[in-house]
Amino acid sequence: MKILVVEDSSSMRAYLTTIIESGTESYDLEIVEAASGFEALKTLPHHRFDAILTDINMPDINGLELVSFLKNHPVYRSIPIMVISTESTEEDRRRAAALGAEEYLVKPFEARDLVEKLRRLLKVA
Amino acid sequence: MAKEDDRAREEFTSEAEELLDTLSRDLVDFESQGQSVRPELVNKIFREVHSLKGLAGMLGFVEISELSHNLEDMLDRLRMGKIEISKDLIDLLYDAVDGLNRLVIAINDPSLSGLVDITGLARRIHQIITNQPLKAADDPFAELTLDEQTRKSLTEYEEHRLLENVRAGKHILSLEVTFDFSDFDEKLRALTSSLSEAGEVISTLPAIPTGMVNGIAFRLLYGSTLNDAAVQAVAPEAKVASLRKASAPAITGPADATVAAPEPVEEEMSLRSLSQTVRVDISRLDHVMNIVGELIIEKTQLESLARAMTQQQARMVSHELGKISRNLDRKLNELQKSVIEIRMVPVGQIYSKLSRTVRKLARELNKEIELVLRGEDTELDKMMVEELTDPLMHIIRNALDHGIENADERRATGKHPVGKVVLTAYQQGNSVVLDVRDDGRGIDPERIRRVAVARGLIGDKEVIDQQRAYELMFTAGFSTATAVSEISGRGVGLDVVKKNIQELKGTIEVISKVGEGTTFRISLPITLAIIQALIVEAGGDMFAIPLTSVEESLRIYSRDIRRVERREVFTLRDYTLPLLRLADAFGLDDDHDHGADTKWFVVVTRAGEKTVGILVNALVRQQEVVIKSIGERLKMTPGIAGATEIGEGEIVLVVDVGTLIDHFGGRAREVRAAAAAS
Repeated sequence: MKILVVEDSSSMRAYLTTIIESGTESYDLEIVEAASGFEALKTLPHHRFDAILTDINMPDINGLELVSFLKNHPVYRSIPIMVISTESTEEDRRRAAALGAEEYLVKPFEARDLVEKLRRLLKVA
Repeated sequence: MAKEDDRAREEFTSEAEELLDTLSRDLVDFESQGQSVRPELVNKIFREVHSLKGLAGMLGFVEISELSHNLEDMLDRLRMGKIEISKDLIDLLYDAVDGLNRLVIAINDPSLSGLVDITGLARRIHQIITNQPLKAADDPFAELTLDEQTRKSLTEYEEHRLLENVRAGKHILSLEVTFDFSDFDEKLRALTSSLSEAGEVISTLPAIPTGMVNGIAFRLLYGSTLNDAAVQAVAPEAKVASLRKASAPAITGPADATVAAPEPVEEEMSLRSLSQTVRVDISRLDHVMNIVGELIIEKTQLESLARAMTQQQARMVSHELGKISRNLDRKLNELQKSVIEIRMVPVGQIYSKLSRTVRKLARELNKEIELVLRGEDTELDKMMVEELTDPLMHIIRNALDHGIENADERRATGKHPVGKVVLTAYQQGNSVVLDVRDDGRGIDPERIRRVAVARGLIGDKEVIDQQRAYELMFTAGFSTATAVSEISGRGVGLDVVKKNIQELKGTIEVISKVGEGTTFRISLPITLAIIQALIVEAGGDMFAIPLTSVEESLRIYSRDIRRVERREVFTLRDYTLPLLRLADAFGLDDDHDHGADTKWFVVVTRAGEKTVGILVNALVRQQEVVIKSIGERLKMTPGIAGATEIGEGEIVLVVDVGTLIDHFGGRAREVRAAAAAS
């Protein structure tokens, strides 16, 4: 399985991948990282993602715009999305849900919450 | 796990420092833009604090997380137009960023924690938030024909920006562009940047292109003073449409905004994205630099081998060796240059720290100061930039404390009540020069003399010229502060500043005019590790003199040397050049002098404002040397910067012209005569 992590902070990205890797050791999981919405768009055609995790507040194009694009795309619309953001962007998270994002996670979060929600997103036990 | 924690902490500290650096610089811009601050900037500052908060929260740095949370809350309201920009708010932003900086530093040095008044800051933030009533929001969409998808994809902030643009009577336009997938990011950034000159790109929505297989489309929402026809001219590749309903025509903006014809898109590509920056551990770079250094030594050995093979049968080998050595040389130069480039960082990195300090000091001293920072792109070795912060800070503190007069005094002398401190960085040959200029009262040599007398540094009858007065300021034990001031005090004087600068192989000089102001000029080599040097011979030993300190070299005879007041000098064109015998300075026996016809070489060197001719027996050659530090015993010897290998395993000492002149400047002969007499 392959997931895409879109996050502009490098240490947050490193943190996310560490948690995901250690929490999903039993699956064959590959993580692709993107440091911006642009990078995410660029990497999309090269992989078949099973899930996408994205931040909201990012330069270039933000998480909402990315979600909107994905959920209106004939090929990508079926990829489940988890939006990760802080509680201050609650309104934006609501909007992401309205655009079709399946899951959300509020920073700061517990490692096991992330893993659990990711499993739900990937529909694995 | 503990190790992972360390790594996470290290990663966090370094990213947090970067964030706070950018944040401080943005704050300076923010303040200078005043009430008309660009919304993009406010949003950027918000995003930076937001990122910091997210990180700190994840990793459990409670205080940083709490403070940045409060700050973010305030900035969120600011970007949403719910609160207004005020002096209190700007002050608070600076203080909060300063507090965050301290907290980040305290992560690695717990003794510093507890110094930040987080509750105090939180209270001030709360005051600003509650003092300003919320404005009622209205529906920005009523006057627009906005498609459903764009509307649903707006973040709360983007919606607010749209509303502000509608309220301001801007043209609200939609631009549809399609780019090739391979370079859409560059193209789109270029377009956004030229559009931003006459308006605001409110949102950028990616979309599936129609009729282009390998492309991607974007729908931009744009608020501008330009109408659709003008925007079409700026972005000929875009499909432009006005979104205002016909009944609500936009007010055309001021004439000057409409003539701001943006640059052609292709030339707007200077944006440096984050992903092009590499964060490298400096010790790794040091390691590569060491390898380069060792390679240079190898090359030098190869060269001398080639030189040594002069026998007939070895001619060809010698020729070949020479060729290899030259190729090696070229490659080495390339490698060296690129490593040096990696080590380079813009001095602007410390500007933000400086501007924070100046702000704080100005407030403490109750003086109004304008700090102007120039040449922030000037690049300098990373290590040097770090080492430079304290000396620069000290000089700026001095300028604020002693240089700049208070407002009343300034008014009385016909000056602008706001004092000005200008920091300029620029490259000059192989050096980087930093000027700290203030428009204060200037340095009065007579005042310096009185203080020096009071401190027992000179006799009370001694007459000193301006140059000597400046030198005295850099002497240990000299401080013009009547009481040890909290500002300039801190237990160090200009002598420490000078020592720090000299350790970086730099020089510091003073240019001042009473009543008009003072400039401290710091001059530093771009990098320390590898230098061009002139190899000379004196007293039977070889020495390396850094070429950066050498003005010229010439041949003279013993009869050309004259004596003026027990000091040896030489007339160079119309200038009397003091001479310094290198062999004498290092206490070497020298039997080179055989009377009037003895040949000498004078290496004319300069350190700051002082020029001295170093007298040597012979010039050997010019070559690149790698300076290695030497043991503790020789470290304190004035006049020596380190040692270097110049091929065939031969070690020579590298002369430090600055301390050599300071220490022996023209006095070597007398000292030696006195020593011989005792």
